[in-house]
Amino acid sequence: MKTLFQTSLKIASVMLLLFGGAAITAHAQSAKLQMDQLDVLANKASETVDVKLDERLMQTTARIFSDKDDVEIRNLLKGVKGIYVKSFSFEKEGEYTQTEVESVRSQLRGSAWSKIVSVNSRKDGDNVEVYLMMQGDQIEGLAVISAEPKEFTVVNIVGPVNLEKLSKLEGQFGVPDLGLDQPKPKKK
Amino acid sequence: MKRKLAIAGLIIATIVCLPVAGSRARGDDFDAVVKAIEQFYHVKHQSIPLLARVGMKGAKTVARIRGGDYKRLAEAGSIRLVFFEDQEFNSRGQIARFKASMQSTLNENWSPLIATLSAKDEEQTYIYLRDAGAKFHVLVVTIERREATVVEATVAPDILAMLMKDPGEMGKALTDDATINEAETRP
Repeated sequence: MKTLFQTSLKIASVMLLLFGGAAITAHAQSAKLQMDQLDVLANKASETVDVKLDERLMQTTARIFSDKDDVEIRNLLKGVKGIYVKSFSFEKEGEYTQTEVESVRSQLRGSAWSKIVSVNSRKDGDNVEVYLMMQGDQIEGLAVISAEPKEFTVVNIVGPVNLEKLSKLEGQFGVPDLGLDQPKPKKK
Repeated sequence: MKRKLAIAGLIIATIVCLPVAGSRARGDDFDAVVKAIEQFYHVKHQSIPLLARVGMKGAKTVARIRGGDYKRLAEAGSIRLVFFEDQEFNSRGQIARFKASMQSTLNENWSPLIATLSAKDEEQTYIYLRDAGAKFHVLVVTIERREATVVEATVAPDILAMLMKDPGEMGKALTDDATINEAETRP
């Protein structure tokens, strides 16, 4: 069970860390995706992870991480309305269908969402899409759909988070040590 | 002779009633979760673990929790604990339905933190948090193929921060801590 926990959390964490570089600022209740329809996949999945850091929980993080050593975590999570991850791993291919993928993707077709990254690998069958919800110059939410032959993951971040600083979470919250370097200051 | 019999009866009654004290019905979410497990899997809970098992779990906890000597996680006297031992937990392909029933059983004051499921291995862990003023209530449900545990504990914010930094260990650590507490409070 320990392995399941750790492996799964790594998946979720890696997905979050992959998209560093942008500071996301939002006030975005509407950026929250409906993902409960995917739960039925748990019946077929060899491993299922469902992470829900909802708004109420996020509001308490300032109280939970009140130690002076936690100031970076506090700043990182400040203002974030929610972090939601659903990840399903299967023993064989074809256990989930495009219907499940489309049930999430269809929510991202509105004008508010923009697809900023789309990676397709014919060889491996991997398909990764990254969407941002914008309002003016501000980003209100992030969505990631990762559809691999034996794995299906959806990540949804609602509210502001400085993804550039997410590397500071390495080694905490189940985030593995990925060897991500901190951004180097520009030379004058 | 009658007096001796009465005393013996009283002792037996006390021993028999002890398990109930650990999971006495308070008409709250803890009991509702236990009942949901019993109804879905057709199992019955026990409240006193075997002492040998307690010792084993205690040793694991000491090894698991880093940062020095064993540290008590839950607030003293705050733990509620129920065991299901040596019974079959077979979701029969409907593990998602059980997950949904867990969610609907708990009232909206509980925030789900993480759920991990393995339909093949019949392994499930659910962790829920609830604000309790200056502290937090944590509810941990762990189900495996032949056993399950339900733990509710009150933890201080600094302990919760420590646990949340290593959520992979959170459920196990709290469950083990609860088991130790149960053992220590018994003669």
